[in-house]
Amino acid sequence: MEATGEPFGPAVTMVVALSRLLRDGERVFHGVASPLPMVAILLATATHAPRLVYLNITGSINPTPSRLPRSTTDPALLEGTRALITLADAFDLSARGELDTVFLSGVQIDARGRINMSAIGDPARPKIRLPGGAGSAFLLPTANRTILWRSRHDIRTFVEEVSFATGSGKVDRVVTPLCVFRRDSAAGRLVVESIHPGISADDLAARTAFALDLTGIPTTPPPTAAELAALARVDPQGMHRIEFA
Amino acid sequence: MSLAEAIAVIPDGSSIALGGNTLHRSPSAAVHGLIRQGKRGLTLIKTAGAYDIDVLCGAGCVARLVVAYVGFENLQGMALRFRSAIETEQVALDEHTCASVIAGLRAAAQGVPFMPLAGMSGTDLAPGRFHRVTNPYGEGEVVTIPAIRPDWAIVHAQEADSEGNVRIFGTQFEDVLIANAARHVLVTCEKLVDGADWVRQPELTTIPGFRVDAVAEAPGGAWPASCAGHYDIDEAFIERYYHVSTQGTSEHITAFIREETGASRALAVAAR
Repeated sequence: MEATGEPFGPAVTMVVALSRLLRDGERVFHGVASPLPMVAILLATATHAPRLVYLNITGSINPTPSRLPRSTTDPALLEGTRALITLADAFDLSARGELDTVFLSGVQIDARGRINMSAIGDPARPKIRLPGGAGSAFLLPTANRTILWRSRHDIRTFVEEVSFATGSGKVDRVVTPLCVFRRDSAAGRLVVESIHPGISADDLAARTAFALDLTGIPTTPPPTAAELAALARVDPQGMHRIEFA
Repeated sequence: MSLAEAIAVIPDGSSIALGGNTLHRSPSAAVHGLIRQGKRGLTLIKTAGAYDIDVLCGAGCVARLVVAYVGFENLQGMALRFRSAIETEQVALDEHTCASVIAGLRAAAQGVPFMPLAGMSGTDLAPGRFHRVTNPYGEGEVVTIPAIRPDWAIVHAQEADSEGNVRIFGTQFEDVLIANAARHVLVTCEKLVDGADWVRQPELTTIPGFRVDAVAEAPGGAWPASCAGHYDIDEAFIERYYHVSTQGTSEHITAFIREETGASRALAVAAR
């Protein structure tokens, strides 16, 4: 992914876009392998959502890590917490309808917002066995909404239909290096909400395998000076960039 | 009891639930011990595994996996020995989601054949495997997860005493649950301590000694995974293992583990 022509790249655009989707006071959870959500949650807490409740697999609540880990279930995320819950507690919270927002990803994401983290090819004898969806099959239908993110946007990733649905459910938004999708509840399909600065509609269409209506789509507002300053404070080592390494 | 003596009691073909999560507080010394003793036909159970699952697959110890995720998160690429073992059908996979592993373990811990679980709509993991039952008390249906009853739970904790009482500091992950669900429990610990003082705060003991079959001191026993309060992930070792794992054969992997993961090595690396 190339720079957008602005003094920031796709990692900054994505982490800020993810952060803006979070609401003050809501309960938000991310799982393993989730550097962009980890930083986005900390950024939201440092800007517009100071009363957000940040939950993760370590069981910490609103941690204030002095260094951000590469693994997003690292004991570094215990720092500053006054309580610990278990992963089972977090899932039970979701089952009761008390978990507001979860972040999940997919190696493939399809036009209906279904994700594949399981296998490419015949699931019984896969061409490529993928890591597995961790919490996603359970969280997608139980959490009040899911925000998907993916640091790659091409026609192998954004497909018309996944060959295997590891999970599907209450997808609200999908953030990529090119755009923000929202799921249209009537049509049940992803539609483009905004295109990131410097990305052309033609490029977005060419790199998405399902049909998009790209007339009159606004540009994603660029990060503000306040957001960039807060990002530098919460993530001085640039952990939000490691998904692009 | 030495760790090797404890491992020797575990028969080939056992099902084993591993403690920790991804690269954190994995029972790595025990995993290395299983490889050294050439165990075969194991079933491994875990919500989210990483090095532990991958290296056991790579060394040819595994017949079946009951897991929801196997990967190195953003530290390395995909878990190659896990991938290969599934793609070549050397290892069977019961793919789960983390919550269904927990539900199955809860059923086993509670002595019932299955556990209802919310959600699980919209996943291709469920049809034909996780049966829906009619709610006998009201409206609707619910998905059920069959009990997951491990022969063994293997937990690496920061502290244990000679009676097998266990204190876990930081995140418990599913360690207490797997200990309750399993027929037998093997515990390794950073430090084997005199538990006499623990009468002051017995609430810190989360696995009671009477449920534990064997306890062995293994300083650095989670290495190369992290152990909260003691050491971080050894990212350099994980990178070296990952490189070895690209070459593949079980002989390669087993030789690497034999040469590179002795108890003195774990102690030295964890203590630095």
